[in-house]
Amino acid sequence: MQVVLGTLLASLVPVVGFNAVMTSEHFASFLVFIVIHVVALAYYIKGILSPKMFKVAVTLVLAVGLVVCSAVIAVLIAMVASSPTKGWSGRSLSLLDPTYASKYIPIIASVSEHQPPTWPSYFMDINVLAFLVPAGIIACFLPLSDASSFMVLYIVTSVYFSGVMVRLMLVLAPAACIMSGIALSEAFDVFTRSIKCQLPGVSQNSQIDVGDSTSGSVVTQDEVVKTDKTEDSLKERPSKKNKKKERERERENVEKASIKTPIQKRLLVLPLESSVIALLLLVLLGAFYVVHCVWAAAEAYSAPSIVLTSRSHDGLHVFDDFREAYAWLSHNTEVDDKVASWWDYGYQTTAMANRTVIVDNNTWNNTHIATVGTAMSSPEKAAWEIFQSLDVKYVLVVFGGVVGYPSDDINKFLWMVRIGGGVFPHIKEPDYLRDGQYRIDSQATPTMLNCLMYKLSYYRFVETDGKGFDRVRGTEIGKKHFKLTHFEEVFTTHHWMVRIFKLKPPKNRIRGKTKKSKSKASSTTSSKRSGKSPWQ
Amino acid sequence: MREIRLDLLLLSLALLFAPAFSDLLLSKVDRRIDLTSHVVRITSTLKVENAGTDPVSEVLLAFPDTQAKNIAYLTASTIEGKGKTKSSSVSLPIQVVHPDGMPPSLTWHSVSLLKGLSKGESLTLDVLAVFTHTLRPFPEKITQAEIQRVAFQESAYYLSPYVVKVQSLTVKHSGQFESYTKLENSRASGSEIKYGPYENLPSFSFSPIVIHLVNNQPFAVAQELVREIEISHWGNVQVTEHYNLIHGGAHITGEFSRLDYQARPHVRGASAFRNLVAKLPPRAHSIYYRDEIGNISTSNLWGDSTKKLLEIEPRYPMFGGWRTSFTIGYGLPLQDFLFQSRGIRFLNITFGCPINEVVIENLIVKVVLPEGSRDISVSVPFAVKQWEETKISHLDMVGRPVVVLEKTNVVPEHNQHFQVNYKFNNLSLLREPLMLISGFFLLFVACVIYVHSDLTISKSSTAYLAKLQWDEVQATVQQVLNIINRCLTIHGKLEASLRDLSRTGDVQACKSARKSADSSLKELSKELRPVLILLQSSSQAVQILPKVEELVAKERELQEKLMLKHSTVVDCYEKKSGGREVENRVASIQQKITALRQEVDDLLEIIDEI
Repeated sequence: MQVVLGTLLASLVPVVGFNAVMTSEHFASFLVFIVIHVVALAYYIKGILSPKMFKVAVTLVLAVGLVVCSAVIAVLIAMVASSPTKGWSGRSLSLLDPTYASKYIPIIASVSEHQPPTWPSYFMDINVLAFLVPAGIIACFLPLSDASSFMVLYIVTSVYFSGVMVRLMLVLAPAACIMSGIALSEAFDVFTRSIKCQLPGVSQNSQIDVGDSTSGSVVTQDEVVKTDKTEDSLKERPSKKNKKKERERERENVEKASIKTPIQKRLLVLPLESSVIALLLLVLLGAFYVVHCVWAAAEAYSAPSIVLTSRSHDGLHVFDDFREAYAWLSHNTEVDDKVASWWDYGYQTTAMANRTVIVDNNTWNNTHIATVGTAMSSPEKAAWEIFQSLDVKYVLVVFGGVVGYPSDDINKFLWMVRIGGGVFPHIKEPDYLRDGQYRIDSQATPTMLNCLMYKLSYYRFVETDGKGFDRVRGTEIGKKHFKLTHFEEVFTTHHWMVRIFKLKPPKNRIRGKTKKSKSKASSTTSSKRSGKSPWQ
Repeated sequence: MREIRLDLLLLSLALLFAPAFSDLLLSKVDRRIDLTSHVVRITSTLKVENAGTDPVSEVLLAFPDTQAKNIAYLTASTIEGKGKTKSSSVSLPIQVVHPDGMPPSLTWHSVSLLKGLSKGESLTLDVLAVFTHTLRPFPEKITQAEIQRVAFQESAYYLSPYVVKVQSLTVKHSGQFESYTKLENSRASGSEIKYGPYENLPSFSFSPIVIHLVNNQPFAVAQELVREIEISHWGNVQVTEHYNLIHGGAHITGEFSRLDYQARPHVRGASAFRNLVAKLPPRAHSIYYRDEIGNISTSNLWGDSTKKLLEIEPRYPMFGGWRTSFTIGYGLPLQDFLFQSRGIRFLNITFGCPINEVVIENLIVKVVLPEGSRDISVSVPFAVKQWEETKISHLDMVGRPVVVLEKTNVVPEHNQHFQVNYKFNNLSLLREPLMLISGFFLLFVACVIYVHSDLTISKSSTAYLAKLQWDEVQATVQQVLNIINRCLTIHGKLEASLRDLSRTGDVQACKSARKSADSSLKELSKELRPVLILLQSSSQAVQILPKVEELVAKERELQEKLMLKHSTVVDCYEKKSGGREVENRVASIQQKITALRQEVDDLLEIIDEI
């Protein structure tokens, strides 16, 4: 019921639509759904019909059902086989095949969270759990129950998915927590048990017990010998004797068992000192993990990526450039002005600057993003025309070359080229690469040095230090002195991290305007003169 | 500019034909105009002389309409006492009047003298007029690199309905000027431009002058400032100020280059302002500075025992025409601002904004009084629009009374104290905590009642009866368990007595222990019987009954075995047989006992779980 209801509700969402039933990744869940219902139906019918009738019905249904099923399966297979991706959507395929996205969907591959993680990122995110997880897997195998085999499957699949892209570290986290919980619990179990067996109070008792039993056994053995002797000598009451013998055996068995179990337990017992030290170390490990988690939560997860800080010898330095730019946009532009930027800054611009954007982080319209990517990778004139057709007033670029902020638009630029080129084939990635290398120095290709992104990022950059040394790329820029003809700089933040340019009005009006402004200038000067003369 | 000049010409023409007004004459007029900030302050010292016969009780001040609409603040004061003892100045009441037969496009203010000026007497009046928006940026649009120039227009002669004998005008500016209207007797020196002295000018003399000067002072204009002052009788006055700020000077045109601004901020960006300084009361605490997208990290706070200075820097440098909005807030100790006299409390706090040299176009001061305040009255030293609202905040029942004061065109001169008087019962303070306490109390009481009440609708329904029976069964099972447990403790005692026996060899003590155990076990078994019968009779107990019966049986068996062991051991001791023999005889019993004991424990656990 829930499957049907959930699917219906999901298909009401415009983006999902019929994808919930048409794509292959949902097939498994529906198959299970169908199988469960078939089984339930079979049981129900079995309850209604008499056994004979049921047999007849089974043969009938099997005969018809097999034919129908094979027909349906044939149709399904034909449909699935006809689609190029076998009915799988790109996003799930990029999960199953790590190289898929970079080949076919550059927009998915362009997101840094979709890259495969590096080992340091594992240690950063799950820290000691990375070492405890293997131990947990081993612990799961020791008695392999249903639950523990589920856990093993869970951890294996989640490790695979987290290996495909960084953001799926989220999937790994709970699995890793559970596995290392199992590992820790097993370890604590062993250590505390071995300590318990050897603690002074308990161990004395056990020693006494052992002593008693040994003395007792000695005594009983002696007695047995005695009784045997007496029995031998007297040779009376064979039944009694048998009974006694039985009793003896029983006793011996019991004693053997009672001796055996401590011995068995003894096998798992570690030396007292080492287990105490190991316990302390484990607790210490846990404590350090807590410290690491608090640090990571404070610095890496909750530190807003919009406000950057750097520590230097004279204290904390705050780079609040993003909010500076957004505040400027929200207060000093018209309410219905549109801002074009790479889609990473779309939601931020919408929320903080309260301005309409062309593309935002909801990346479902690939063509839109490709249009902006094309504009950014086109020469100034063509870009101006694209932006003009989109009714854009302001263009926002993020530039880290002054302060060394690495995730800026120049570093993301190749993705703009790829995504743009995916839709508009006249943008070709090799045009921007010199011998397969992405560079912005004097070796860069002319297409690169003339594209809008380069020009907006490095406009008047050379005047900051005289050489135009980019601190992110670590080189001097290729083209240093140039002017913008279709854009004008209207705002640049304190550390140059965000630069906002305004589109100049269309050209035919520019000609008119130059005339006008000339006449205006002359009129103002004349008015000034005429205004001044009577007062002087 | 041209239009304004035409206006002035027309005005001056009109004025030429106006009649002299009264018998008063101004024997000396000394005017000083301060143009160093974007607020224009004109201080006029008038020496008024009564040349007529009748005593005069009011002096008229005339302003052209173009100026009058920009008057933010106007006071007139006279100096009491003469000669060297002139010390205390008394401010005089001023009101707007509309005298008849006067030339048009003039606004009149009448200063009422404290006592009439009789014939031949003279008096010195100090008039301070503060104007906003009278410095017009000229040109109106400048690029980033240009300095900001403003034009100021005035009359070189003092515009007055009275004859002025001697007068002079001094204009103070920041040091640089482009031009000024040159008349006879005008000269510029240093940071001053002087006109006059002019002698014996008729009434309504007017001669327009325009001064075009450089003024790079921050033209900070708050288009709207909402100050919310919230009083908490728990000891805090919370002030929250929402600013909507604009640079009111010449608008920036063309590119803004951060490069130029950073390289030479005082040349390329001279007209911009980077920061503002708010002067807060010395004991202000919990100060914050933020806007709608979060905290603004560029602020600085320092101070001493007399003041606290908060330097705030907007997110970006403010160029002409650029806007920003932000909020500052701070808490003040209650006892510094709230006083009490004869049952009436009054708040005494400043009216204007704490930032220097900010002109506020529309200031709204909201004083939020605690809930339950009554008899509210406000006294403000100048005219304001005033009304009341209520504000609902946390734990409010009827809302807090809010006194709203609105005033347009506020300049730093308005930074005066005003008072809000109200009555408030101290007991009302306890209302909110009591409300919380009683709320929680009621919640817990409700929980208690819910747990203890029987909410069954039908007392005869089978489910209800079954539940009752089940409860009963559980109670009886519990009784059984109790009895069994008591038996088990008695078993423990017996074992202990045996141990004592082996240690001390005191057979008698052991026997007596046995006796007492026997009797108590008997009693327990007596107790057990009715309980078991009860359990057997109950239909609900079918499920649990076999286990209970098994438990009882096992316990009995255990009891027997234990007795057997006990008697055997005692027997052995009585016969003084050796330890080995005892062990030998007891061992088999002991095994059974431990096995039974184990079974009993298991059963107890199982029943407990059920």
